[in-house]
Formats: sequence, C-alpha cells, structure tokens
Amino acid sequence: MDKCDYVVALVGQPNVGKSTLFNILTGERARVGNWPGTTIERKEGRKVYRGKNICFVDLPGIYGLSTSSLEEIVAREYIVKNKPDVVLVLADSTALERTLFLPIQILELFPKVIVVLTKIDQAHPLGVHINVEKLSQKLGVPVVAVSSMTREGIKTLLDKIIEVAETPLSQFPLLEIDYDGLNSYIKELAEKIRETGILREYPARWVAVRLLEGDEELEEKITRAGKEDLLHQVRIMRVEIEKLTGREPIDLAVAARFAFVDSLISEVVVRKHTRGREAFSKIDRVFMKPVIGPVFSTGILLGVFFIAFTINTGFPLNILLGKIGLTKIATFLEEYSISGVLNTLFNDLGEAVKDLISRSNGPAWLASLLGDGIIAGVGAVLSFLPLIMMIFFLLALIEDTGIAPRIAVSLNEFFVRFGLTGRAVYPFLISLGCNVPGVLATRAEIDEKSRISAIFAAPFVPCQARFVVLAAITSIFFRGVFAQVFSLVIIYVVALIVALATALIVRRILLKEKEKPEFLLEIPPIHKPSLRVVWWLTWSNSKHFLIKAGTVIFILSVVTWALLYIGPSGYDVEPTESYGAIIGKFFAPLLKIYDITGDAAWILAFALLHGFVAKEAFLESLALLSGGEELSTMIRMLGLTTPQLMSILVFFTLYVPCLATIAVMYQELKSLKYTVLAILYMVFTAIIISTIVYLVLSLLI
Amino acid sequence: MTQGVTLDSVPPGSRVVVRQIVGGAGVHARLLQMGIVPGEFIEVISNNTGPIIIRVRGIVISIGRGIARKIIVEKA
Repeated sequence: MDKCDYVVALVGQPNVGKSTLFNILTGERARVGNWPGTTIERKEGRKVYRGKNICFVDLPGIYGLSTSSLEEIVAREYIVKNKPDVVLVLADSTALERTLFLPIQILELFPKVIVVLTKIDQAHPLGVHINVEKLSQKLGVPVVAVSSMTREGIKTLLDKIIEVAETPLSQFPLLEIDYDGLNSYIKELAEKIRETGILREYPARWVAVRLLEGDEELEEKITRAGKEDLLHQVRIMRVEIEKLTGREPIDLAVAARFAFVDSLISEVVVRKHTRGREAFSKIDRVFMKPVIGPVFSTGILLGVFFIAFTINTGFPLNILLGKIGLTKIATFLEEYSISGVLNTLFNDLGEAVKDLISRSNGPAWLASLLGDGIIAGVGAVLSFLPLIMMIFFLLALIEDTGIAPRIAVSLNEFFVRFGLTGRAVYPFLISLGCNVPGVLATRAEIDEKSRISAIFAAPFVPCQARFVVLAAITSIFFRGVFAQVFSLVIIYVVALIVALATALIVRRILLKEKEKPEFLLEIPPIHKPSLRVVWWLTWSNSKHFLIKAGTVIFILSVVTWALLYIGPSGYDVEPTESYGAIIGKFFAPLLKIYDITGDAAWILAFALLHGFVAKEAFLESLALLSGGEELSTMIRMLGLTTPQLMSILVFFTLYVPCLATIAVMYQELKSLKYTVLAILYMVFTAIIISTIVYLVLSLLI
Repeated sequence: MTQGVTLDSVPPGSRVVVRQIVGGAGVHARLLQMGIVPGEFIEVISNNTGPIIIRVRGIVISIGRGIARKIIVEKA
C-alpha cells in the first residue's frame, strides 16, 4: 500500500452492518488477505477525503474483547499494537441493548474512538429514537448515526474521522465504568501493575479488570515477563471475590458492563412501541421443525446448486435431458454454457497461437508450450471462474438475507456427528459439482478446527469431472443400465462415507479434539440483501481465487506439458516415449494390488498420474496412449475384470482431487505441511479403500 | 447451591432467568458477551432435537445442545 495519512480500524459485532459500511467507505478497491497465521480474512481499503489518504482496516466481527476466540485476540492485539488513528466501533441502532456492549469494552482499552450507530434508517420505523448528542457526552467520544442504505451520516462520519485523527491521543480519556463490588480490587491491582511496569501498551486499569475476569493471553505475557507473584495475587483476589459474592468475577464484570449499557439506554433512547423487533417468523418455524427443517434447507441448497451449475456447465440438466431423449437440447446446453463457450474460446486461441508461431517459423516446442501447455492450463483456471463467481454470488445472497444461519441450524445435528457444524453443508454440496468452490466454501465454518476438517474432507466428494469419467467408463464396460447405475451408486456412497469419516478422523487424530464442535450462532432477522455488498463479496472472493490458484496452475501446467511432450530422446516424442510414460512404468508395479500387470498396468498408472492435473485427463490419456483408437476399444483392450475396474474407479475417485483443488486447499489451509499431509492421506486412503473394494468384489463375483 | 435446570430441558415458550454458567472458560466468556449473563431473562423460542433457539436482550441466538447443558436456569 502507498502511504496512509490516517489508519482507521473498523470493529463491530456480527450482523451490525460492518461489511456494508466498509464497502461504502472504501468503494470497490479493497485488498483481501488473511491475518498472519490464521484463516481469518483481513480486508483493507482506502479513501481520499479532503486531500488525506485514509486507510481502512476491517477487524474481524466480535462480540467482546475476551480471548474466547481467535478473532477477539486478532482484533485486540491489532488495536493495542498498531494504535490506529481512529477506531470506528459499530453498534446497531435497532438493537442497542446488545450492540453497545462492544463499544463500551473498546472505550476502556483505547480512547480514539468514534461510535457509529448503523441502520439509523431502520430505527425510526421501529419507534426507536436516539439522542446522539447525549450519548456522545456520556461516552466522551463522537457518536455518528449512519445508514449505508440512504447514505445518511456518511459525510459527517468522514469529517469526524479527520477531526479525531488530527487530535492527539492524550486528549481522549479512557472510559471508566462502575464495577460495583470489584472496584476496590481493580484499584489495588491496577496500582500493582503500574509498579511492576509490565504490559505498558495496555491501560493498567483495563489489565486489572481483565486479569480478574481471567485472561489467558495476558496471564501468559505476565508469566513470560517473570512476574508470577502478580498472578498469584490475582488468584487470591479471585477466590476472595467468589467467596464474598458467590459469583465468578467474570460474571460480575460482564453484568456491570451490561448494567452500564442499560443505564445509558434509559437516558438516551426513547422507544415508542409502534412495532417490536421482527418476531420469530413463520419461515423460521419451518426451519426449526425436526424433519421438515433439514429437508427444506437441503431443498434450497439443491436449488442453488442446480442453477449455478446448469448456467455454467449445463450439468446436471444436460444429463437429465439426455436421459429423457432430448439429446440435441442437452448438447446445445453443454456447448453454449459459459464454461463450454470459454473452452471453445481457449481451444481456438491455443490453435491460433500455434498457427501463428509455425507460420512465422518459430520453434515448434514454443508453439506447443504456449498452445498446449500455458493457454490450455490458464484456460482451465479461467473456465472455473464464472462457476466460482456464481457460487459465491448465491452464497453471499443466502448469507446477506439471513437465510444461511437458519440452514446451518437445521442441518447441525447431522454434521455434528462427524465433527462438523451445520455450516459444513456448503462445501459438501458444492463439491458434488466442483471441489474448487467446495473447498472455498469451507469459509462458512466459523470454528477453525471444523473448517480444517472440512477442507480435508470435501475433496473426496466426487465432482462433476469425475462423474463424466465414471459414467463414460461404466457405460462402456457394463452392458445393462442397472449395472451401470448400480456401479455409480456404489462409488458415490463409498466416496461420501470416506469424506464424512475423514472429517471425524482429522478432528480426532490430527487436531486432537475430542469434544463435539460447539454451536453458538446469532440469528439475525431475515431482510432484503444489499446487492452492493453481495456483489462486492462475490468479486473480492473470486479475485482472490484467480490470483492464487492461477499462479500455481500456471507453473504446474508447464511441468505437465514438459512431462508429456519431452522424453529422453528429446522434444516431440511419442506419448509412449515421454518422461510421463517412464514415470507411469515406474508406478505400474503398484497396480499388482489389483492383479493388473503388463501394458494395462503402465497405461492406467500413466492415466491416473495425468488425471491428477484434471480428472477428465484420465480419459484423454487413455485415448492418447491407444494411438487414436476409440475409447471403447481401448477399455476392452485393457482386459480388466469387474472387480479390477471397480477398484480402479474407486481409486480414481478418491486418490487426489485435481491440481486446481490442491491449489485452493493450500491457499485455504495456509500450511504446506497440512497440504502435503492431505495429499498423502488421500493417496493412502484411496489405496486402502480400493483394495478393500477389490477383495470384497473378488469374493462376491 | 442452585435449584435450577439446564437450558436444554426447558420447553419452548417458557421464560427463564439465567442462574449460572458452568464449564470451560472460553464458552463461558462467549455466552456472557452475547448477553447470557446470570440474572438476565431468556425466552425459549424453539427446543426440539436440534440447537435450541432463544431470545435474549432482543436478539435471537441458536445454541447447540452441548452448550445449552452448561447453562443453568430457573423459571422466571
């Protein structure tokens, strides 16, 4: 980033309208990354106002400043370490009873604050009138009421930002609230903290309150500074408080803050009860019903899935149309779907480039590298883009209307058994179409451990590309329709069981978590989505994918090209003489597990290796190695038995998703170790499960 | 000490008062910050097989059954 004149941090509870406000303040130009060492998204944007370059940093959505979640630690440490020029703390005008809690906590920690009351346009119809002036007096900082919908107050807010940023920190007092029975302990402890001279970056009074409440982060810092005696005194005080009041200090402290919020509200808010906050609606009742709820939720998600994939790839509508005999329409749909058009475009472009180079007498290897390697590889990424954008768009729509938390609630019970929460439904469902957006959709999981488990698990769900390969091979191999469908069902059931079991295994063994994931989620009222926010979420997520996955795929497509077109005797060898084939032959003995030997073994090994790049390449390389023969002849030439074929197909489905998926797994896991581990785990699982399938089927048939 | 029941056993439509939160410090702190503080009133909206839906301080929250078992309440 260029130089920032002022740095402004935004912080607020979930559902207060933080994303919308951030978007209004910064426009479309934002950088999305992650907070160091976490999978928590970090957004930065900027605005030039009155000649000043104002940089905005979006802190994670949090309820308070305890350290009960990683988000809270990130937000707290950012404010304390970076001391931004202004912190905007958001509170929802329509629900101040709940949302003023966070501003109170921030004001005890850091004083250069503007309290922003959001959704002011909705407050008046609800009969809520807020005396902004008086609230500002009471808190000792500016308070601005804004509406992201009507833009009311945005200009005032920007003026205030400049004003606060230009005032020195020392002119802002910290908020001191009445902690009742804790007051004397806080005073005594704060004195001691000042004496020891540690934790200078935090206000002493704030540290005192937090230590009484119990704060592992601060305790650890004190231990590291070698001041255990201070912690000892804290422990004595805590025991004493519990004995005197019969309550834990944290309960008393939080109750005191809420009491302060209530007293503020009684002074500054006038409520004319025209209409209460939206009651629990009829739609909500449907979501919460035991059987109907999950069915209803699944219906909505399947609808989303159907729309997104049909527009982009024609799948699954093309298959349905094909089955009922409307083959022409099915083909049309496939060719003129977005990804069909893009594929044609990139094929033509690749050919044109090759043609151009050969006509201008350029080297043939360069033509092939550009045309068959790079343009084909980059084209593969770009053809994913419309699908990913549409999925992100529909998911953002579900999220922004408030439907998403309801779906998560209704499906929670099913997923909890596998160490995931209700939100894991997105990655699983989307993965049926494509694992790339499937892995990205794990962002819906709030719990970090559940999210990692979901990233490991989702790629096992067979995607559309795998479906195409499986359907093509089984329809050639098996005569009867029943056998074709039955073999597909077996493979899907096996893959889904493996996926769910993986989630549980990762949670229990890799992450060493024995407890079921905890589920605690606010359910905001259902409301009209802001298209601006929905679009912006869609675009920033997609752009992120394009850059990260694009780089990895670019490099790997060059490597694959080299393996297929270069052999020991030089460039442009027969596929059977390429380095790829040599590697295939090297791995061929592994197929002895399924009693496959000879030519069939290395051809399949090579096809499986190639299938690692993109699953469709499995078919492509079988065709390539047969020397232009029909695929059906090729498959018969291999001479496989039913158990052999089925175990190969199970292996093919499980062994590793495509390159693009690996790239996003790495992007989302942020750990080379976990990514490599995931790949090894998948290969290992594929070998084990396919061997079991082979042995069982050999016994049965 | 408390003569309460756990939140997961409260029928829908009831109004209860939070008495105590037991169990881990992390969950405890999170519940408090969401307004589930001893002395606060809770309205139970839905309670069947899935997460429990409550309203507290004007906001609807869904709580997994595991966490609900750690919240001790009393009839209001």
